Amino acid sequence: MISFQPTEDQTLIIDTVAQLVGARVAPGVRAREAARGVEPELLAAATELALDGAGYGAASGGQGLGLLTALMIEEELAASDASVAFSLPGFMPFTVFLDTLLSEEPRAQRMPELLRGERLGALAWSEPKPCAERPGMVTTAVTAASGYRLTGEKCFVGNVERAEELLVLAQLQPEAGWAGLGAFTVPQQAPGVRLLGRHATVGLDAACFGAVRLDDVAVGPEALLGQGAALTARLAEAFARYSLHVAARQVGLTRGAFELMKGYAEVRKAFGKPIAQFQSIAFTIADRFIELESARELVRRAAWAWDVGKPAAQCLQWSAQAIATAHELGMRAAEDCVQLHGGAGFIRDVVAEKLMRDAKQLALCGYTAAQADQLAAGLGLGLALDPATSLPTPDTQAVFT
Amino acid sequence: MYEFELTTQQQLLKEAIHSLGQSVIRPQSLGWDRAKDIDQGFLRNFYTMSSALRGSDNPLEDFNEGPKVRDPKRISNTNRTAAVGAEEMAWADAAIMLSLPGPGLGAPPIRNSGTPEQKERYFSIFRDMSEQLRWGAYGLTEPGAGSDVAGIRTSCVRDGTHWVLNGRKCFITNGGRASWVVIFATVDPSLGRAGHRAFVVERGTPGFSVGKIEDKMGLCANETAELVLEDCRVPADALLGGESAYQSKEGFMTAMKTFDNTRPLVAAMACGIGRAAYEYATEFVKEHYLLGRPLPRYAAIAERLARMARRLEGARLSVWKAVSMADHGVPNAREASASKALAGQVATQVCIDAIEICGAHGTLREDHALLEKWFRDIKVYDIFEGTGQVQRIVVSRRLMEGLERF
Ligand SMILES: Cc1cc2nc3c(=O)[nH]c(=O)nc-3n(C[C@H](O)[C@H](O)[C@H](O)COP(=O)(O)OP(=O)(O)OC[C@H]3O[C@@H](n4cnc5c(N)ncnc54)[C@H](O)[C@@H]3O)c2cc1C
Repeated sequence: MISFQPTEDQTLIIDTVAQLVGARVAPGVRAREAARGVEPELLAAATELALDGAGYGAASGGQGLGLLTALMIEEELAASDASVAFSLPGFMPFTVFLDTLLSEEPRAQRMPELLRGERLGALAWSEPKPCAERPGMVTTAVTAASGYRLTGEKCFVGNVERAEELLVLAQLQPEAGWAGLGAFTVPQQAPGVRLLGRHATVGLDAACFGAVRLDDVAVGPEALLGQGAALTARLAEAFARYSLHVAARQVGLTRGAFELMKGYAEVRKAFGKPIAQFQSIAFTIADRFIELESARELVRRAAWAWDVGKPAAQCLQWSAQAIATAHELGMRAAEDCVQLHGGAGFIRDVVAEKLMRDAKQLALCGYTAAQADQLAAGLGLGLALDPATSLPTPDTQAVFT
Repeated sequence: MYEFELTTQQQLLKEAIHSLGQSVIRPQSLGWDRAKDIDQGFLRNFYTMSSALRGSDNPLEDFNEGPKVRDPKRISNTNRTAAVGAEEMAWADAAIMLSLPGPGLGAPPIRNSGTPEQKERYFSIFRDMSEQLRWGAYGLTEPGAGSDVAGIRTSCVRDGTHWVLNGRKCFITNGGRASWVVIFATVDPSLGRAGHRAFVVERGTPGFSVGKIEDKMGLCANETAELVLEDCRVPADALLGGESAYQSKEGFMTAMKTFDNTRPLVAAMACGIGRAAYEYATEFVKEHYLLGRPLPRYAAIAERLARMARRLEGARLSVWKAVSMADHGVPNAREASASKALAGQVATQVCIDAIEICGAHGTLREDHALLEKWFRDIKVYDIFEGTGQVQRIVVSRRLMEGLERF
């Protein structure tokens, strides 16, 4: 039976998160941004509550509450500060990807320490420039006697400074184009791996994105987690799942923007009455609410589909629809939040301008709306997954955190 | 007669600003944004250069050469030239445009309503800025009244040969560095617009001080200040236009006339920023969408670019129409507001889309990656000089008679 009712567990968890947000997340929004990082005490408190492990299966060391619950948690956090979830291990793409790419046994071996935050990883997908010689990635992996040797540069790698391990996507079969990728785990300490530093970005200053260079880095055969067509399907799933996490943060941000603008419109007076009394303002607020609700339910339905084990194509399509919608509507809500604040919206004393910058950054932290639409369109037309259009484009549109 | 060609002079002006923008301004743009200030040496050089360029249609002429008697048969090109120049300057860096020495937004009320003596007194200081750069400013907005201009609370009370002003002004462009500010105040808030008076308050006047300098999302290199008036006594001749000008609703009209002139220019600036972002995204696509980029992905991007371009073109035409009407002496309040409403929204969306196209690369605050700066700069173009909503109120009131006051 169709229902939009959270379970008792979910309600309880969300209440707990809301308390954490009120006590620790909300008061530090601007300080966190200025410090360009999430305070360790907040991370510790979140870890203690095991918030980011909630969605993972018990075999991975999680609480088995499903993706839907995880996304509810992220929405709640992001309604106050969208950058916080980026620093929690279970919400990092490396963790999401490994959980998707690994088979049962290695998953059970590797995931618990990741979820406990004892070992952090980062996803190295994006690249600074496109490959001019052939379709595919610039970063290459060549087969060597003892495994593989990786060379290339990766950018927009989230948590690159804290990560001990990288999940590197590289061109393994140059002639196979986008279908010739390989996924490798690479220790940050491996000879030839060099941190190039952190990017300064328009939004999400408290999350950390950086660049890393690999020069003839040697890894063993066990480092290869997948390749070719089989990898494409797994990658699409991993990207979709991770991008759903980001979409949930965008829904949270949208909610934050909505609440902020609504609150302001109810008290800010112009022409002798609260601006909310003007129909154009009231309609704007109503529109943003209507959109917020629809984005949230699209995100939750997609998460539910993964949780209950719907066919992959269905999950992917619903995810793609949710991702595109969340980003489109989030940007609009954040912009309106600035607009409804008038001149004050442009000043840093009010958080509205930050929401607008964060919304733009969030929209690029996974599948973008346009990429998600293309994925959904392909699935809707019943086309086979083409890696060139079903994965994000590494040289243009992706921050992975 | 329809004509969409720029005059030779406009074309030359555009090209001159473009090349300056490309080679001098843009390389420094991000540095100024971070420093929250523009190098004075640059502003001085720019001022000297623009003085040399000055022609008979230059908008600066009014205060540099004093009031001119115009030939009523000769249609001016001033506003159109200003729009072309404003777009190009904003294409280079919008914060510079706002920071250029001169009377700024303070000019139109003085030009429209000032007595000959006032024009001479307040404009003459800009004639020679070779030694020192000077600014004027426009102080209307208050913490409690922005869109609702009639709701200002800064008070003015006549006291013998003086007026005493009390209140606070906020978000005043160049307010801290201005030699004088046109301050709008009220003799009695219950009189609404009829109670308004405009004064020119000079820097250093006792009781007049600069409060907070705002930390903003964008246009960071341009100063936005809070101004405080505490028992600030100004001589009676600082009342703009003199007593007689306020027998009717003139005080308020002084404020509004400013906007009819400047809204299309603000809209032109928005077009400039939008065009900069659009061009950036186009170049990015040319460079990055190389081999092996599959058609659907390319097509989606190309379509988005096409949409951005046509919207910008439409916005620019609305600007040109509004300024052209002003040049012809035709009332243009509706078109001025329409251009501002359209350009503010279109250019904001173009900047949002441009980043989307360049992806995470577009969000970088590094090197000469100016896209993220334009994204931060643009939003205020739908806010200052009348928000998008206010422009729609102006347009709708001029479309339909008898609408109730919003
Ligand atoms: C960078 C910057 C520079 C500026 N420079 C100057 C300057 O030099 N001089 C100066 O005087 N001011 C200046 N301003 C102020 C600017 O003009 C005002 O911020 C602007 O007019 C909006 O007023 P407000 O901020 O009070 O917003 P409000 O009037 O409080 O508006 C809040 C929201 O309500 C909406 N609203 C208000 N009334 C209605 C209505 N009737 N119907 C529908 N919606 C409505 C508005 O559109 C807005 O979305 C500047 C502002 C900024 C940010």
